Amino acid sequence: MTILLIVLPIVAGSLLFLVPPGDKVLSKVVGCAVAGVTFFEAIFARGGGDFTVRWLSRPFTAAFHFNTDGISFWIVLLLALCTFCAVLACNVPRTRNFIALLLLLEGAMMGVFTAKDLLAFALFWDLMLLPVFFALAGWGERRDTAWRYLIYNFAGGLALLLATAAFGMAYGSTDVMGQAAHPLAGAWAPWIFAGFAFAFLVKTPVWPLHTWMPATYADTPSPMVAVVSAVQSKAGLYGFIAIALPFASASMHNASVFFIVLGSISLLYGAFAALAQTDAKRIVAYSSLSHLGLILIAIFSFNAIALQGALVYIIAHGLFSAALFLVIGYVEEREESRSLARLGGLGQANPRLAGAFTIAALAALGLPGLAGFAGEIVILTGVVQAGNIWAALVALAAIIVAAAYMLRLLQGTINGPEIADLPVRRDLTLLEGLAMAPLLAALVAIGVNPHLLTSALAMVTK
Amino acid sequence: MTTNLYTQADWGAVTPLFVVGITALVVLLADLFAKRHSNRYVSLLLGVLGLGAAAVICAQSYGQDYAAFGGGFVLGGFTVVFEEIILLAAGFSLALYGAIGSEDRMAGVVALMLWGTSGAMLMAGAANLMTIFLGLELLSLALYCLCGMAARPAAREAALKYLILSSAASGFMLYGMALLFGASGSVTLSALTAASVAASPFFWMGCGLFLVGLAFKLSLVPFHVWAPDVYEGAPLPVTAFMSVVTKAGALAVFARFTYAALPSGAAAHLLLPMWIVAGASMLVGNLGMLAQTDIKRLLAYSGIAQIGYIVAALAGGTSQGLRYAIYYLAAYTFMNLGAFAVVALCSTDKEEGSHVAALHGLAYRRPALAAAMTVFLLALAGFPPTAGFLGKVFILATNVGSGYAWLAALLIIGTAISLYAYFKVIRAMYDRAPSHRVVDVRPVAPLAWLSLAICLAGVIAMTFYPLTPSNVLPLVK
Repeated sequence: MTILLIVLPIVAGSLLFLVPPGDKVLSKVVGCAVAGVTFFEAIFARGGGDFTVRWLSRPFTAAFHFNTDGISFWIVLLLALCTFCAVLACNVPRTRNFIALLLLLEGAMMGVFTAKDLLAFALFWDLMLLPVFFALAGWGERRDTAWRYLIYNFAGGLALLLATAAFGMAYGSTDVMGQAAHPLAGAWAPWIFAGFAFAFLVKTPVWPLHTWMPATYADTPSPMVAVVSAVQSKAGLYGFIAIALPFASASMHNASVFFIVLGSISLLYGAFAALAQTDAKRIVAYSSLSHLGLILIAIFSFNAIALQGALVYIIAHGLFSAALFLVIGYVEEREESRSLARLGGLGQANPRLAGAFTIAALAALGLPGLAGFAGEIVILTGVVQAGNIWAALVALAAIIVAAAYMLRLLQGTINGPEIADLPVRRDLTLLEGLAMAPLLAALVAIGVNPHLLTSALAMVTK
Repeated sequence: MTTNLYTQADWGAVTPLFVVGITALVVLLADLFAKRHSNRYVSLLLGVLGLGAAAVICAQSYGQDYAAFGGGFVLGGFTVVFEEIILLAAGFSLALYGAIGSEDRMAGVVALMLWGTSGAMLMAGAANLMTIFLGLELLSLALYCLCGMAARPAAREAALKYLILSSAASGFMLYGMALLFGASGSVTLSALTAASVAASPFFWMGCGLFLVGLAFKLSLVPFHVWAPDVYEGAPLPVTAFMSVVTKAGALAVFARFTYAALPSGAAAHLLLPMWIVAGASMLVGNLGMLAQTDIKRLLAYSGIAQIGYIVAALAGGTSQGLRYAIYYLAAYTFMNLGAFAVVALCSTDKEEGSHVAALHGLAYRRPALAAAMTVFLLALAGFPPTAGFLGKVFILATNVGSGYAWLAALLIIGTAISLYAYFKVIRAMYDRAPSHRVVDVRPVAPLAWLSLAICLAGVIAMTFYPLTPSNVLPLVK
């Protein structure tokens, strides 16, 4: 069952290239069907279907071992949902190729989040770069963005690979995740952790390794960047939780101040940079940098509550960033611009667009009753409990700035005076609305009843 | 003592070499009688059949352990695997020449390639200084001619360059061998392991010269400068042949020398320069790739780096390391020859489509070729799910495990550098902007397509079924 989550999108994505290139409708129908089936699989995949095939016995044992237990399940569900919405919302030129890349991306990321073997994890980690690179190369506005994305992330992937090989040699096996494990010991342990940490920090990203990110998010077509920011950016944080915490907790404790400082800088830097942007996508990109810094602080607080908050916030951030990027994509399609200077007053003629945009933005600024708040409050409680008062204060300051930049984003697009010379106005179509609805509904549901997630996650953090 | 010095088993051990060598004669003879328009097919068919027969005979001796000709040729798992890789690479190169080579030279090129192949196979099993040199010269002489086998000035230049530089390297090697003989009083490699040998200054000088010669043949930095020029000038199938067969032969000699011919105390001091050279090759090869616009030059620099990775796998001196070197060599054979096959299929009789511009927009003209090329380049860059990825994991693991973490670090840095060069080609293939210079894709050449498919299957399948031969040691008797 679990293996189908990986194989189905990859096989379907590859076969989609056989569809006639001009046939938009067929591509979209097939894409939606595959993404939909994958989503239902993901719902029913929980806990069941451990898939293991022996891969290597020398120089260390490794296996193609996949399972959807614990936190994996929720991220897999998020990924399946976001991909489905992205395919549904997809309206870019050369649709067939784009949807095929989306499905390939989904399959590769399924591999990352369900792998229980470090080598399989590393394999899919590298693999998930390719669809985004091709999307940037094929649809991006500037030529160097694709290079920057690839080189940064491949450098991270190589560090991960070296660390994985060293881990395998030190430990004798890489088929270790999700099992009762003894932590890594020996002189090499901090270096192995450093390799993992570098890869995870680049991927998240965290200041000062973030410079690939705003350009990538701005240049990737909205449906794909929705998936990338919602799920791919979580791969690093997931790695810290699922790999570093069980196997390198000593190194993590030793270096925790360093990581909390990095997280705090990202938190503030992202927030203030978001305040200064005029490109709507870049605002959301920098806000992501800020939010993910908060999650990093939560993980390195070594506090059960903070960790639980981190898990909730991982899901919440995934939902609202996907929703924001999709809705910005709609705006861009209609008005051919993402610049706050050029847009304004869209809400009057497009009430549905305005409603969707507003809910997503309010969730991002942490309005109580929406999912973002649930995550933030739990994280802050945990961080304070862990004694990192100053980090909590930094986070609070950043949350205030978050309100400023998110409201500025709303002000510059939906509200404010109507701009006369904007192209044709058309409210959300049914299909576009359908693509947004599940994300917004989940944001409200988790916000109103965070217990939905926390009770499920409590057992993970035990 | 009988008059018949060698037994049937001795001759049995080298039967595959003879099959290949005699096939070359048959090809030349058949060419005399073949009709003008059919000689292409006759030569090619005979050549491939001969290689196939040799591969079958060779495979049957897998599992045997026998030192033929008084230890001059050692048959074992190591030798058989190297011979098979060499035969496979020779078969692919023949297929490429059949697709794009000129009709007039067909028989001659096939025969020379077969002789070169038998030379490389001799190197794979050679365990004394005489057989090593015999194999090396047989291979080199064939290559001197092969490099010039095209009606371009660049080919003649390449042939001359290779002749002069390679002869100089052979001279170094021969002088080294003479000194080694002076030190040990024997031509066998196993005689060098005696503890008394290490005390002789001749031994150290001899080893140094011998290794310099080998490093040239392997195109390791700083003896690599010839490779890009020669690769660029030589006809494409010959370049493909050189990039794998020469390196496989030289690598077999190098592995046998480092694993089996050094006094136990001397190995660590003596070989450290070689590992440094391997590390330098990773950096220089990958840096050199960045500026290239010709695929053959690009793959030449790529090969310099890749051979650096393979040599690095031997650094620990473990049997694991040797197995991973063989794994990576097999992976390199598939991914490198696959890339050459794509370039060959983009070429015409008049012009080799080896300029990156010739691949521009290939994805929209020939999507299958572009997809295959993408896989080969990803494999060379170490991307999953390909044998290049797993091969790098193996080499990293063995380097870390045997205390050569700095080589692992250099491998990582080198790979990171190479990324841009490989992806530049990939990106060009998928670029929509119209290109200025496009060679028409020639009509389907079945054998080249077949070798392309085999390479593709090999590159992917080796990831999921990473087989490595277990009976590689001992290398001498």
